[in-house]
Amino acid sequence: MKKYDVIIIGAGNGGLAAAATCAKAGLSTLLLERHNIPGGSASSFVRGRFEFEPSLHELASIGSPEEVGSIEEMFCRMGAEVDWCKHDSTFRLVVPAKEGDKDAFLNENGVMVTVDARMPVGFQPFARKLDELVPGSYDSCMAAFDLSTRMFKAFECLDDPTKLPGSLKDVPDIMRMVTHTVKEGLDALGMPKKAQDIFNTYWCYMGSPASKFDFLYYMCVLHSYVKSGTGIPRLRSHEMSLSIDKVIRDNGGDIWYNSEVTKVIMENGKPAGVVINGEKEVYGKYFICNSSPNAVWNDLFDKKDIPEKQLKMLNARKIACSLTTVYLGMNKTKEELGIKDYSIFIAPDSDSDKQYEAAQNFFSGFCIINCLNEIIPDCTPEGTSQLFLTTMTFGDVMKDIKPQDYKKFKTKVAKDMIETCEKTLNISITPYIEEIEIALPPTFARYLNTPWGTPYGYMLEKWDSMIPRTVQYMQDQPFSNFFFCGASQERGDGYGCAYYTGEKAGGIVVKKIKEGK
Amino acid sequence: MANLKSLKVKEFLPLLKGRQTRFESAPSELVQISDQAMTLAKALHPKRQYLKVAEVKDISPDCKSFTLVPDPERGTKELAYFGAGKYLTVFETIEGMPVTRAYSISSSPKDSLEGKYVLTIKLVDGGLMSRYIFDTWTEGANVEVSAPSGNFEYQPLRDAKKVICLAGGSGITPFLSMANAIADGDEDFEMTLLYGSRDYDNILFREELEELEKKCDKIKVVHVLSEKTKRGVKGLEKGFITAELIQKYAPENEPYSVFLCGPQQMYEFVDKELEKIGLQKKYIRHEMFGEFRNPASQPDYPAGVPDKIKITVTIQDKTYIIFGSSADSVMQTIEKNGLSVPARCRSGECGFCHSHLISGKVYVPEHLEYRRLADYKFGCIHPCCSFPLTDLEINVPVAK
Repeated sequence: MKKYDVIIIGAGNGGLAAAATCAKAGLSTLLLERHNIPGGSASSFVRGRFEFEPSLHELASIGSPEEVGSIEEMFCRMGAEVDWCKHDSTFRLVVPAKEGDKDAFLNENGVMVTVDARMPVGFQPFARKLDELVPGSYDSCMAAFDLSTRMFKAFECLDDPTKLPGSLKDVPDIMRMVTHTVKEGLDALGMPKKAQDIFNTYWCYMGSPASKFDFLYYMCVLHSYVKSGTGIPRLRSHEMSLSIDKVIRDNGGDIWYNSEVTKVIMENGKPAGVVINGEKEVYGKYFICNSSPNAVWNDLFDKKDIPEKQLKMLNARKIACSLTTVYLGMNKTKEELGIKDYSIFIAPDSDSDKQYEAAQNFFSGFCIINCLNEIIPDCTPEGTSQLFLTTMTFGDVMKDIKPQDYKKFKTKVAKDMIETCEKTLNISITPYIEEIEIALPPTFARYLNTPWGTPYGYMLEKWDSMIPRTVQYMQDQPFSNFFFCGASQERGDGYGCAYYTGEKAGGIVVKKIKEGK
Repeated sequence: MANLKSLKVKEFLPLLKGRQTRFESAPSELVQISDQAMTLAKALHPKRQYLKVAEVKDISPDCKSFTLVPDPERGTKELAYFGAGKYLTVFETIEGMPVTRAYSISSSPKDSLEGKYVLTIKLVDGGLMSRYIFDTWTEGANVEVSAPSGNFEYQPLRDAKKVICLAGGSGITPFLSMANAIADGDEDFEMTLLYGSRDYDNILFREELEELEKKCDKIKVVHVLSEKTKRGVKGLEKGFITAELIQKYAPENEPYSVFLCGPQQMYEFVDKELEKIGLQKKYIRHEMFGEFRNPASQPDYPAGVPDKIKITVTIQDKTYIIFGSSADSVMQTIEKNGLSVPARCRSGECGFCHSHLISGKVYVPEHLEYRRLADYKFGCIHPCCSFPLTDLEINVPVAK
């Protein structure tokens, strides 16, 4: 029987990038996926005359016409063809006023708010806008971007050590950023609290609030969004996934869909093969796993074969947030609906830690509303548009819901989210809904096979954030021939992060095989 | 400019060490976390449900209701709950040939909690599956079905409070489930059912519908008989489901939705009538009508297509060369050659059979185009509604 150089478990973003890397390097590669299409979160679905984007908000690092971003570069490197649509704004944050708020004002929608921040692309424009909203915040904002700029330069030394001497002076600050939270960092820079809240709006993209998240990684994230805007694939994320699927096949790799790994076969204390759908065995030298470690250790291994450290890791880490998304096909255009922004963050409180606390329960009033037509005007038929609303939750928030209550519960959550958007933006959505689909944590659990349906892996707290995870990646892997990739690894959630971990794990295996190990 | 100098710099190595210490001091048991999200996902979407026939009831000379109950011995302890309007895909092997068909559940969601689904099946002329079911589904027979699937459901945020349901023949089944769900309080809308049958004696579930109407004032049933009405019975309509008839029963000054379930000919007729009324698209919802046949009858079907087609099919690590007719869908040809294909709706919509077309050309009827945009770019097809125009080479996921 054929023995593959590498078997990749799961065709999520990480698994796809890993398989493409291995196949392109000439390794005999088998990619196994339990669903019938690739991508995991990166997919799409059709309802009536609408095709919905299921999870992608925006990709940072797509770059500008002058400068190619790192994700675009990665797709070029793989030879994957995606038609990118670029977008040159970041976010709008709206915080509706509560009774008695002294600093409330009437915004452009005719709603009383305490914050309405529409933030531009570019470090200076961003800092200027922040200063306009919260006078006295310009210097600290520019100081933060200066730090992130120096930090990215220093990262380049990892690829090119000749640049190292010039960056050595920045090392102490980088270490300070890694070992301090976003809040500590911004306080040290003297940023006013209200400006910090606006500055921290993207915390939910990584799922860790300002008092827990390390300053360095948050600055990596914000920097990439603000530097040169964002992008999305023209044909929904399904385009990205199929483009990599093609690269793998064109380079001789095999992809088997509907092929769920149900067991890992051990030989001499190491993985040697996998069982597919409970019946078919396939053998390989190396394994890259894009599945959640919780699912892997619970379902694929006998207890005796699991390295003790892996169980300790499961128990030490906190499962990250899960999502609820409402997809709406509207029979009105975005202009008719009165929507002018791609991404509007609605928060009952601007403080990220208070948003985090509130998200321990179901729908807390925090909601992101996206309108895809803002970036791709013709992504729906003439006279229509599509919206998607997202909120997040932490923990076993479905615990009281029985199967027979689920449909009504789903509808109630969607109704609350839609009404929050209608009220906060003073617009009307409900009468124009032509198609609706509601995804709650069980939906994500079904498609991603992660605890609580989290697409985010484990919480990126300061002690377990990107830099420590990256430095200790090799010592955290379970076997000498088995490597994890995806949201559970170095960089946490996000398409770009998952592609990166997949490419890196693929690279490790390629190197080991070329070295004859 | 402000800087970070007030923050300590020496905490980096302790941070790294501290992380490993934190792992080391954690318990090493395999702890099962409380996870209702996953429990619900598995309960609502089991991969397969293994059932037994508990009862067979004649509904008419060519229509039977089969009551299905879980078979714990084969691993199904309880039935997946569902929203009224969903279907089950039935898996059978007939003379060595794997076959699947989708049937709407006619019983109520509440019944499933008590361990019961009912499928009401009409014997189709030349129908392979219905004939097989009529012959073999006797009390105690083993049956294998999918999780409840489909999108033909009432959605209060999208649909109007009042719904005119248009049913033709055995297309009554999802509406029977919905009517029961309304009576049980599991759905909340007002249903006016215009039910087309040939004549009074051919009405399926006439008594059940009458009872539901009596029991619940949100349900109104009107029989529309195409051939003849019955003397002495009030409230019958003669003819077809026309625009005038729909408007006669529709609310005057408030929005209403129209749901349709019936044979292809009924859709062709009623869709034209609905155009006259000018309802917004959001208020019209069709259930799929099953497999499309006879592609050559379509006006945009190309000329000069050979009758006999060779298909090279790869499933996982096996490649098969099979032959079939261009009049059959790619899925039918694969099944006729004894190979399994992943299949659910068989109407193009669900995308469960999503496959890679490596070479060759297929024809897809326009009204069955539910592919994703990127599928066109990268050559992916839904074999259930793709008809070969040339020899093909395809890569199909394994059936599971």
